[in-house]
Amino acid sequence: MKKEDTVKLISAEGFEFVIDKNAAMVSQTIRNMLTSPGGFAETEHREVTFPEISTTILEKICQYFHWSIQYASGKETEFYIEPELTLELMMAANYLHT
Amino acid sequence: MADRSLLMEGGELQSPLVRLCIEAATQSGDAVETWRRQRRTLERLPSQLAQALIHRLLCRRLLYPSLLEVFKYSIEKIDLSGESSVDAEWMAYLGAFHYLYSLNVSDCHRINSSALWALSGMRYLKEVDLSRCSKVDDAGIKHLLSIQTIEILLISETSVTTNGVTLLSSLKRLSKLDLGGLFITDTTLASLQVLTSLQHLDLWGSDISNDGASILVKFPNLTFLNLAWTKVTVLPNVSSIACLNMSNCTIHSILKGEGNKAQISKLILAGALFKDITKAFSYFDSSSLSFLDLSNSSLRDVSFLPILHALEHLELSGNLVGDDSVKFIASVGANLKTLNLSNTRVSSDGVAVLVGHVLKLETISLDSTPTDDFAISYIGMIPSLKAVSMKGTNVRGLIQQNGGDAECVLSLTALENLKQLEKLNLEETPLKDEAIVAISNMKQLTHLSLRSSFLTDASLHHLSSIPNLINLSMRDAILTNAGLDSFNPPPSLQVLDLTRCWLLTKDALLSFVQRHSGLEVRHELVTAVLFDNEDKCCSPLQTSSRTSQQRRFSSSPLKSEIATIIDQRLKYSRAELLSMQFSSMSVDPSGDPATSPK
Repeated sequence: MKKEDTVKLISAEGFEFVIDKNAAMVSQTIRNMLTSPGGFAETEHREVTFPEISTTILEKICQYFHWSIQYASGKETEFYIEPELTLELMMAANYLHT
Repeated sequence: MADRSLLMEGGELQSPLVRLCIEAATQSGDAVETWRRQRRTLERLPSQLAQALIHRLLCRRLLYPSLLEVFKYSIEKIDLSGESSVDAEWMAYLGAFHYLYSLNVSDCHRINSSALWALSGMRYLKEVDLSRCSKVDDAGIKHLLSIQTIEILLISETSVTTNGVTLLSSLKRLSKLDLGGLFITDTTLASLQVLTSLQHLDLWGSDISNDGASILVKFPNLTFLNLAWTKVTVLPNVSSIACLNMSNCTIHSILKGEGNKAQISKLILAGALFKDITKAFSYFDSSSLSFLDLSNSSLRDVSFLPILHALEHLELSGNLVGDDSVKFIASVGANLKTLNLSNTRVSSDGVAVLVGHVLKLETISLDSTPTDDFAISYIGMIPSLKAVSMKGTNVRGLIQQNGGDAECVLSLTALENLKQLEKLNLEETPLKDEAIVAISNMKQLTHLSLRSSFLTDASLHHLSSIPNLINLSMRDAILTNAGLDSFNPPPSLQVLDLTRCWLLTKDALLSFVQRHSGLEVRHELVTAVLFDNEDKCCSPLQTSSRTSQQRRFSSSPLKSEIATIIDQRLKYSRAELLSMQFSSMSVDPSGDPATSPK
């Protein structure tokens, strides 16, 4: 995969997740950050930091991005969410508009 | 309940992952136990997420009083209407909600006055709905007086008396007050004069007379007033009023008096008696009146109508008006969108008068009028119609020409001209199969209701060619199993109502339901079968539509489990149970009964 096709998402603890740009675009918030004109640092470096989202939750979010793309292409599987993650994940999803 | 949760999802929660999270969080009682200890997270939860979560918990019957505590910093608005379990214990927790501004506990029959004590002193509460909480009385009102922020208070059909209502005068910020169904006298109303911010006042069914009504001019901001079922006959000029309901009153004059004329936009006078209706309508500014309901008012004469130029919705059902009145309706037809002439004496000749005058008309109802097929041909000339209802009329679908059977014209073909027609109701008319052919050509139809015992399989077959049909009702028809079997429903169809199609058998209906899993089929035998399956709790049949499944899932799994448990206990006597205990021990669990040694 070319470097231009990926984005780097950084969690509150500083863990970096490099994922497919198209997958990250499932989030309306990230899409706006990456595509808005005006030369934001995010647009240039393809790197977004989320000081409010923990590593566990950001990992789950990335899993959801990929699941969502697969689901849209017709592969209907279930996305399992551990009960203890539901609240934090809900807030992150709300923030990311995904 | 289901509607409410859908509204939340449709309104604010567009995010699919949020919805998945809410589903996962409300999966079971165990799931709830897992996250309820995450206090700091719960305190940070945005209110719209917390509200969506709490409503889902309520739908899934997982909400109980002590669980409410975890939401005390996140909930701003809560709707518990109709929940029979809500009682004083719930209120104790709700009273501790820091930022609550809207509380709806209408129809919660366990709420009494002492339960409201928990609310006293709340800081941000603005809206309180206690409608139909019949155990709430004057003592309950005293508890509310400490909440000076209240702007909306709904206490219709509670046990509050004149004393309690008088106390409300200290809630100075009240803008909306519903006192419907309470015993309120003129002096009580006079004591509320200080509430000058009132915009919305409901006084239906009270003991208010003309003396009380004269006080209403003291409310300078009143825009909505409901005086239905009162003794008021003369309403003075409350010039700020825009929406007035005086149904079932005897009316002498409305808004007569000095000063600016009131600009009424909505007037509901159903079942009212008029001394002189033309005079009653002459005192206020009717140039902006868009909604007028005069149903069941024993009117013979509607010659006052021509002054109402802005009329969009006109309700005249159940009156004695006939064809000679239709010319007055036509004269104000320019803006008319909805016209209800059900249960009147208007015939097809009357409908003819409307043609050309009602160019914006979208909905017409002629139920139970002496109209016939000729009315259909006139209706076909009102191009903007979206919904036509002619239930219980003489429409046969055929117009006989020259009296002979040989020359029949299909009258319903006239409706093909209506390019926007979506809803058609021809129930309780003597329609026959031949007439239905014309309906099958109306490609934009989404809702069709037929109810005639002359219709057969042929009609059902014709209707399968309407591509956008969502709701099809064919009650009382002579449908056979073979006819249903060969019926190929349009892909958009969601509801098929076959009630009292008495020739259909259970097996045929079930196999149809199985083949079309997305379709909700209504029939006496189908509902019976669905209940059977619910009791068994685990059914391989994929029946009924998505909506009804949701409804069942929201409450039934737990209930049906309990039902089966109880059944098992009741089935056997104590002695039988004891003997079964022995027999189960005597059987070798691993052995097949046929091969095991005896």
